[in-house]
Amino acid sequence: MQVRFWGTRGSLPVAMTADRVRGKIVQALQAARGKNLDDDRAIADFVDQDLDFSIAGTYGGASSCVEIDFGGDAFVVCDMGSGLREFGLDSMRRIGQGEKKGDYSFFMSHPHWDHIMGFPFFTPAFIPGNSLKIVGGHDIEFALRRQQDNPSFPVPLDWMKASREFVTLTDGQVLETGGFTVTIRKQPHHGDSYGYRFEKDGKVVVYTTDAEHKLDDFEDFEAHIDFLRDADLVIFDTMYSMADAISVKEDWGHSSNIVAVDMCHQAGAKHLAMFHHEPVFDDAMILQNHNETNRYEELVRPGETALKVSCAYDGLVVTL
Amino acid sequence: MECRKEIKDGVVVLVVGGAIDHESAAAFEQAVIPSLDEAETAGTGVVFDLSDVDYMSSVGLRVLMLAAKAAKQKSITVVVAGLQPTLAEIFQISRFDKIFTIYDDADAAVAGVRG
Repeated sequence: MQVRFWGTRGSLPVAMTADRVRGKIVQALQAARGKNLDDDRAIADFVDQDLDFSIAGTYGGASSCVEIDFGGDAFVVCDMGSGLREFGLDSMRRIGQGEKKGDYSFFMSHPHWDHIMGFPFFTPAFIPGNSLKIVGGHDIEFALRRQQDNPSFPVPLDWMKASREFVTLTDGQVLETGGFTVTIRKQPHHGDSYGYRFEKDGKVVVYTTDAEHKLDDFEDFEAHIDFLRDADLVIFDTMYSMADAISVKEDWGHSSNIVAVDMCHQAGAKHLAMFHHEPVFDDAMILQNHNETNRYEELVRPGETALKVSCAYDGLVVTL
Repeated sequence: MECRKEIKDGVVVLVVGGAIDHESAAAFEQAVIPSLDEAETAGTGVVFDLSDVDYMSSVGLRVLMLAAKAAKQKSITVVVAGLQPTLAEIFQISRFDKIFTIYDDADAAVAGVRG
């Protein structure tokens, strides 16, 4: 099973600016002072091993879109944020290479704009013969249709010639697809959101974004910990600092790195992927957030087994 | 978790010890609420002496945040004192160090509240 992150940014896509690229180059050259970088291999090693990810790379700016590859013929995708465009192109490449067929299953957290905005640019949806199955707890068809209606977009939904099937699930429902099992959970967010627990061959991946788990809502807290129980990978909304999440940004619908680690510890999860990054944060700030989250995990670890903490970026692949 | 109340120069000092986690957070909250009312009546403030706290998870931080919000409404001051290195790091990571004035010890905190 492989999890591929195509969009990891929260609320709004962000683009790299010229100033920020220049800043990375300046920092890289400063770090290269005095090093022997006479051959290409030495340069590549220096970039890969000596530079922080915030300098050598970028967390990216596409909004929520995560592919879970169970190894079958079909594609499985969580959310249709702006990362969906790039995923769509790559999926066509893989279909062309005979790895997959044009069958796509989508699991939608909710229809807020940043989670559906990639769909009008999802090329496979225009191709007759492809099939799309779109699962969610909301009326996703209404949201997609409205997004493409006049005057918001020039191409209405019905111009897309792949077949479409919309499936609405309710809280706690379990869907057996044949290839995997998925459980849906309603989450606290404006207008609700839904998390998904995917299971196959003893491996568990939980996609849980856009959820504000209030620390005095013990019922939600305990239920969500059960939802994460023993997961191999938890993809969790860590948009805000703890202080922001329960003060100035209370009721904005998102959680913190602190709550994510606490919940994963209590659930016995193995790997946390920080997700839905604050669009205001640059790469250095996200890296700092990642480093601090690792440190917090170390400080409050209940036993000897460490929770692995990754910071998702556009292009990250996690193999389970 | 232990939470003992003292009065120093009219300031309510809550001397907290042990671990504040999911198991003890509710008791911590119950211990804090009357102290806020008492400080409001006295027109002073509350000092959380956390020098004997060795662990505080998110639910414990939430109680401190509730106290800070209530203090604002009551026009009183809430500060913390005596953070051990681990707790100081947790405050920094959670950004609680941006919300609370932090003193080295309870006496300095009392003096700070008294102004």
